[in-house]
Amino acid sequence: MQNAYKYSVIYFLLFSLLLLASSVFLFEEKIGFSHREVINYYLGNEVLFQSSKTTTGLLKVLLPHIFGFGLFIMVVLHFLIFTSYNKSKYIYIVIIATFISGFFELFSSFFILYGFEFFAYIKLISFIVFQSLLLYIFWLLGSSIFYE
Amino acid sequence: MRFTIIKDLKQDRSMRPILNGLLIFTIMYLIADLFVIKSSLGLFEQEIYKTLYGDKDEFLDPMSKSIFLEFIHTQIFFMMMIIFTLSTVYMRLAFKLSYSLFAVNTLLVSAFMSLILLGLSYYVEKDYISLYVITFFIWHIVAFYMAIFCIWSLSFAKCI
Repeated sequence: MQNAYKYSVIYFLLFSLLLLASSVFLFEEKIGFSHREVINYYLGNEVLFQSSKTTTGLLKVLLPHIFGFGLFIMVVLHFLIFTSYNKSKYIYIVIIATFISGFFELFSSFFILYGFEFFAYIKLISFIVFQSLLLYIFWLLGSSIFYE
Repeated sequence: MRFTIIKDLKQDRSMRPILNGLLIFTIMYLIADLFVIKSSLGLFEQEIYKTLYGDKDEFLDPMSKSIFLEFIHTQIFFMMMIIFTLSTVYMRLAFKLSYSLFAVNTLLVSAFMSLILLGLSYYVEKDYISLYVITFFIWHIVAFYMAIFCIWSLSFAKCI
């Protein structure tokens, strides 16, 4: 990687860490990290005065996130091309896993809304896997910038 | 990004208008961002203070945690995309200038710090608002300069 671009990538990773941190705080604040809280958030709870989400409401949140996820994952992953991990076979698995976990993180909310409460677990697992994979990719990029 | 591997951007017929277009849109974003921030959060200390903590005299409620988090989450995403693209184009065009790295570092550090300071202003201490305002304007001014420089360099400069 050229020296000048290393600066950009380092800063991009710092911003990405902020983005990840804010998404964790936002998830905790708006939804919560337990199965019951996820169900309550999407299906509502009369006791807690929580209203259920609508398909249109979900789509409004989902639409910018589909674009954002795709763009963000692509930008972060394409940096790996400039590192020595480029030719590694297991990076291919990491790339596929990142996109799949991102997909389930986005779309599992629809399944919850249509009555498949089991998808609350999928939502939580995919969120954690997605964040962990991104952190792992940041670590790979960071280590290749500083040690290669 | 193809523009990082083309030898002479100014001689490339297709990349020059593409980059010029991107830079003009970046300038429009920077200007529009000022208006959006003015109406949603406020540009100066007193306005931001009222938005974040509310004002009893004017019956303004403080900004809720979830609204603040949504706001800062969106800001981080758009800022990182704009700043990363702009700094890459700038470095490609201004790599011979002695102060180019300083300009890029100023842009990126001030933008990063503005986000951190806004978070600290909301969660920790009100006094950080003034520092947030300073860093917010620094990154906007530097980004504006870099975009103008790149357009000038692509379209008019003979030797850079």
